[in-house]
Amino acid sequence: MTAPEAYIASIGTSLPGEPVDNEQLAKALGVNQEWVEVFIGTRTRHFARDIGTNEVRWSLADLCAQAGEKAIANAGIDPAQIDFIVLGTATPDTLMPATVNHVADQLGLDQLPTYQLQSGCAGAVQAFDLARTLVTSTGGTGLVIGGDVCSKHLDLRRDLTDAAPSELVNFVLFGDGAGAAVLTPEPIGQRVALRRVLNRLTGLGRAPGQVIEWFGVADRDSDKQAIKEDYKAIEEAVPVMAVEILWELLGELDWSVEELDYILPPQLSGRMTSLIYDRLDVPGVREISCVADTGNNGNALPFLQTERLLAEMTTGQKALAVAIESSKWIKAGFALEKI
Amino acid sequence: MSITTEEFVQLVNDDIGVQVGASELEADFDALPGWDSLHLLKLVTALEKSTGRKVPVGRLLEARSLGEIHRLASAS
Repeated sequence: MTAPEAYIASIGTSLPGEPVDNEQLAKALGVNQEWVEVFIGTRTRHFARDIGTNEVRWSLADLCAQAGEKAIANAGIDPAQIDFIVLGTATPDTLMPATVNHVADQLGLDQLPTYQLQSGCAGAVQAFDLARTLVTSTGGTGLVIGGDVCSKHLDLRRDLTDAAPSELVNFVLFGDGAGAAVLTPEPIGQRVALRRVLNRLTGLGRAPGQVIEWFGVADRDSDKQAIKEDYKAIEEAVPVMAVEILWELLGELDWSVEELDYILPPQLSGRMTSLIYDRLDVPGVREISCVADTGNNGNALPFLQTERLLAEMTTGQKALAVAIESSKWIKAGFALEKI
Repeated sequence: MSITTEEFVQLVNDDIGVQVGASELEADFDALPGWDSLHLLKLVTALEKSTGRKVPVGRLLEARSLGEIHRLASAS
């Protein structure tokens, strides 16, 4: 008897509004446009807030529900067939209720278990990890969602003349969005087997590479920097970790690199992702990236990449996704095979 | 409008917040205390404001010292 497996039946994604290009962003921030293009390498991103008025146009729940609705429709199933929902995010709308429950509400789902994983860039993979365990142990069908509204911490109306570089960089790196997948115990729809998921904390004793604060009534006036990146540590550690994850996954799967058709590298920025792909040194393996067009929208990224992958993937092809959460240095990744 | 060495040093100290003297302008960025590549964003913006001219960002990103950047910003 073979061990039970989980399959991606479909993907759905949601990016808020029109893409914001570097010309618009540079103008809003009063920074050099060419610098953003050359140094960050990200061309466009989407924001859930209006960059002129700072008004919230979409909540995280809105984006996740839109992605979820598309994923359910693309799988060709009835929403009532969803047995559980898992959402991974670093930027929930509220601490309570968990955003996943508002997503369920918008999708008209009730009387089912919901889970929300508080997590950074590895959250989508952690959501797949938990969902895969649930699908294979219960035989149920799950809706897996990842999304982030990073613009919550980016006030584009602020005068950034005095901003520290570690704060300024966030304005040109990040964006908002959500993605979702329907995970099933039998191959339907896209028929892509989720062969393996890697989700491992490797940060013992290491200082965080990224910190996002949250503020309450007692400290809302604090002048603490809301998002902090140790971009030097990230630039140094992430490419090395990406190579380790690639080879660890290949080893565990007993796949040779020659068998691999696609690689989904970590999506930091257009420039960093392209450096990491070069560093992986797998020239025969096609790169599937999205960050240059979507901006770094955290937990939405693996879904946006997988959506692009599914548009190309044919029966028998194999893909590996690599993700790294530099907050507390989490190694993550997953392996896909279209059957 | 070009920018003198003295003005350039002052701009780096005041607008970028990296304390350097004229003697350190030719030091490689790796040897310049407190420097990191993201300071370039602020430097480009400050230089354009002060000289009223576009700075060639692609070439500036290849520069290895503040002196090189000063020459790029001053060249016509």
